[in-house]
Amino acid sequence: MNSVIEVAALRKTFKGHDGTSRAVLKNLDLTVGAGEFLCILGPSGCGKSTLLNVLAGLDKVYEGRASVSGGRVGYLFQEPRLLPWLTANGNLDFALASCKVPTSRWSELKSRYLAMAGLSEFRDYYPHQISGGMAQRLALVRALCVEPGILLMDEPFSGLDEITARRIRSDLLAIWRETRKTIVFVTHNAYEACFLADRILVMSGGAFQHEMRVPIARPRSYDDPAIFTFSRDVIKAFGDEIERDPVPSAATESGSVNNLDRHTAARMNI
Amino acid sequence: MLKLISLVMAVIVWGLLSLTLPHEIFPGPIETTRTLWGDIAGGEVWTDLVMTLLRVAGGLVLALILGVPVGVVMGLNRRAEAVLDVWVMIGLTVPSLCYAIMAFIWFGLNEGAAIVAIAVTAAPSITINIWEGVKNVDTKLVAMARVFEASRPAIVRRVLLPQILPYIMASARFGLGIIWKITVLVELIGRPNGVGFKLFYWYQLADMRQVLAWTLLFTIIMLLIEVLILKPIERRVFAWRPQVAV
Repeated sequence: MNSVIEVAALRKTFKGHDGTSRAVLKNLDLTVGAGEFLCILGPSGCGKSTLLNVLAGLDKVYEGRASVSGGRVGYLFQEPRLLPWLTANGNLDFALASCKVPTSRWSELKSRYLAMAGLSEFRDYYPHQISGGMAQRLALVRALCVEPGILLMDEPFSGLDEITARRIRSDLLAIWRETRKTIVFVTHNAYEACFLADRILVMSGGAFQHEMRVPIARPRSYDDPAIFTFSRDVIKAFGDEIERDPVPSAATESGSVNNLDRHTAARMNI
Repeated sequence: MLKLISLVMAVIVWGLLSLTLPHEIFPGPIETTRTLWGDIAGGEVWTDLVMTLLRVAGGLVLALILGVPVGVVMGLNRRAEAVLDVWVMIGLTVPSLCYAIMAFIWFGLNEGAAIVAIAVTAAPSITINIWEGVKNVDTKLVAMARVFEASRPAIVRRVLLPQILPYIMASARFGLGIIWKITVLVELIGRPNGVGFKLFYWYQLADMRQVLAWTLLFTIIMLLIEVLILKPIERRVFAWRPQVAV
């Protein structure tokens, strides 16, 4: 498997208002193979989003090397970030025009991905006229229809209710199976990571703490007890890790353990 | 409907108040309307009215040309904001009469000077409005556009402009209100025609019926502009917005 993302010795520091600098990424090394589904699991404030911003080219100030090959980069944000003054169709046109996709291919691409996401009938709706889950699905369609080789996703389903999020996760896996994009998916939800990923990297305090392959065969079902067992192991192993974090850089770190626990608790209720 | 009732009430109040003073000092609505009707029928209002409206339009366009770019730059660039905000405040503080006098003395008693004076007075208020608007721009949408490789001009035109447009519309509307007041003042001191000139003329003759008739005329015209031109434009441009039910 040839690699499409290569990161070596990536460092990034932010300067605070008081002049102190804080390292958010500490010497990261990362290789992602073509067609791989990688999840980066970590508490909020651990530097996951910063890493994605570097990979997406939004953040160009860093030390070390970060190279992305294998085609255009698609990005799915935590929020849909649709342009509210354009219809669903208009939002897709905006993306297609921005990426300079030849006009002759627009209608075919839009129809294909709208159908995949079950949004074919909502072409002429404005973002405020559709639900949050549909808006996020539309954002996924927008990211896919410019045919990226790599899809970066930053906690894309964390703002949705659990039922909707479950459905979209399954949709995402179906789409991934069909299109075989390379996906880097950032989340703080261990169960989600175990359901989706080939490989999980646990990140905390700006560094990768652990790497783990998900030994569950595909296609996966969301209610598979194997996923539940595995996610519990992940949380058990890495929850401790985060707690024993040698550099608790901010208050968010201590809160993060609770965050993971809360998610375990939530999973227990399923 | 409520608007109509409040309008009728206002006319009634005007009528009652006018009874407290001699009618040549404070004419009532009926007398004022009759005077206005006489002026309109005599055909002498049109030159003044058209000249004033042209000055208002010219002043508004120039004020937007001056005020919008400055506001945009101030909203986007912190250094520009630090330098310019004092000047916007100064511009806002100087009385319109000073601008009018300076313009007429420096550029002569002509239409250009009048329009410059009007625009310079109104521009700082427009700048403040746009400045606030640009500061409220959703940068998350800009990041989204950059991820999709949108070019800089495309981001300005398709992501920033639609967000600033409501503020431009709002400043055009309230700019119009300020500008018409300045225009009258400018006409009073430096132009040989227009509503302001006529108001001053009748004031010097102490003819209150004519003063109120001209005031009434221009108020009606401005209301018509608001209802027939600005509101429909706004409704069209912002059709995508959700209706807010309170």
